[in-house]
Amino acid sequence: MKHISYIFQNLEVDTLIRVERLTKTYRSGKGIFDIDFDVSEGEVFGYLGPNGAGKTTTIRQLMGFTNADHGRCTIRGLDTRREAKDIQRHVGYVPGEIAFLEDMTGLGFLTLLSQMRGMKRAPRMDELVDRFELEVGERIRRMSKGMKQKVAIIAGFMHDPTVYILDEPTSGLDPLMQTTFIELILEEKRRGKTILMSSHNFAEIDRTCHRAAIIREGRLAVVEDIAKLKQAQRKVFVVSVAADADLTVLRDSGLELGSITNHQVEVVIGADYDQFAAALARCSVVGLDMVPQSLEDVFMHYYGKGGDPA
Amino acid sequence: MNRALFHTTLRSNWVLLVIIFAIMMMYLSIIISMYEPDNMEAVTAMLDAMPQQVVQAMGFAGLISDLTSFLASYYYSFIVFLFPMIYVIIAANRMIAKHVDSGSMAYLLATPHSRLTIASTQGLYLLLSTALLMVSVLVAGLLFSSAMFPGELDVGAFLRLNISALLIFLALSGICFFFSCMVDDSRHAVALSGGIAGLFFVFNMLVNVGDQMQWLRYLSLFSLLDAQQLMAGWGFLVRSGLLLFGITFVTYGAGLAVFNRRSLTL
Repeated sequence: MKHISYIFQNLEVDTLIRVERLTKTYRSGKGIFDIDFDVSEGEVFGYLGPNGAGKTTTIRQLMGFTNADHGRCTIRGLDTRREAKDIQRHVGYVPGEIAFLEDMTGLGFLTLLSQMRGMKRAPRMDELVDRFELEVGERIRRMSKGMKQKVAIIAGFMHDPTVYILDEPTSGLDPLMQTTFIELILEEKRRGKTILMSSHNFAEIDRTCHRAAIIREGRLAVVEDIAKLKQAQRKVFVVSVAADADLTVLRDSGLELGSITNHQVEVVIGADYDQFAAALARCSVVGLDMVPQSLEDVFMHYYGKGGDPA
Repeated sequence: MNRALFHTTLRSNWVLLVIIFAIMMMYLSIIISMYEPDNMEAVTAMLDAMPQQVVQAMGFAGLISDLTSFLASYYYSFIVFLFPMIYVIIAANRMIAKHVDSGSMAYLLATPHSRLTIASTQGLYLLLSTALLMVSVLVAGLLFSSAMFPGELDVGAFLRLNISALLIFLALSGICFFFSCMVDDSRHAVALSGGIAGLFFVFNMLVNVGDQMQWLRYLSLFSLLDAQQLMAGWGFLVRSGLLLFGITFVTYGAGLAVFNRRSLTL
């Protein structure tokens, strides 16, 4: 019997995480509807969406915490709800909400989880504690949000799993620690680990992932290679020019313009950087700023409510 | 059952057990020291000064001449319910519902153990700690009595009173554990457990007060600690014990089954 399941798993070696027509609704009417995607072995998969879009709901299902209304999830061919115990051996999980056994110290908590995994001390625990500069002796109750997030990350990575399920892992981290974390992800990527990582920040997913799914209001808008998503991404620049004549140049350039106030023009750029540079060369530019964009702004234009590229 | 988790649960909950035990010891020592074999008038006078309904509700009987029935009516009718009840309600909530409510259950379930293993470890702690509390009260009662009034205690009858109390609280812990496994919000677990235990407590007091309330006896687990019947012999304890054992078994089992099947908001 063991032999057969081994062969069966090897046949499916390519797809490691499979989410099949997953639907889970809450009493509020919110939830996720017909979510369908696969993550292959060794792939880093981004799961993008604004807050409340259903990222955590999907991940809860992957961890076997909730009962789906329809559909199912499997990891290595095992059902995530019914066979959670066998799956967890290989999985590292960073939850989206920070909650621990509050009266323990960081060290006590990490040691407990190591022991519950049958190890005296998880193999990478000390290395990760150093790397994230965590003061492990502190009681978790007294830790700042960022410190708690570090504990969560170390708890998810210290047993050197082969699959990672990470729910907004960088939230609460300062920019320096975010970089440290992204380096860690890139390292694990090189070591061939499979990673599913949710985020509402495209830049973070862009730096780490092979592919990404975008979820809006509980439905998948798109599952696409990062390179293609980047092409679809729109950026808004505010160009300050010297004279009215420059405004005319920009108007005639064929670029998509946003609002114009005095001598400041908003220019929306998709893939037309060359054209943008050429137009700028013909004006006298006195200032150039990029407007920070929310995920919605970045993709709304291309992936509207229907999910089809506009 | 997982050793590391059990150890952690023990470490973060033993203080509660010790506090409850200390309070119970304080009352036990005071009550035993109030016993005066030759002259019960002081106690009687004190009780006469109180409204008769209150005295009856607390289960304090009239004139008593021996240590065992003295303890039965002044300790095993009121104190022995109140404090273990508080312990069981708080501890049961901490075992499951609080972990689910706060989200820390997510970490426990992310380890390679089934929900049943995690929940049964927590349930085992609740069961064993409740048993330890009640056995400690028994042992302390035996020690205090033999130190202050050697040879006065009817050990067999006292043992039956304590076994009955132990079984009642194992059953109540099962009921509270079931609620703890069932709800998302830890406040609901406390409200449900406290509500049921509170009803048992109040019904038992009403039964003590008046004859017309006797039917409430069948709605309260606490009424199974019937001093008269328990002091008479083992028969009643065996019958009520089987019932209590059954309730314990079913409620813990149902708690585990519910927890294993339900959707958790983690």
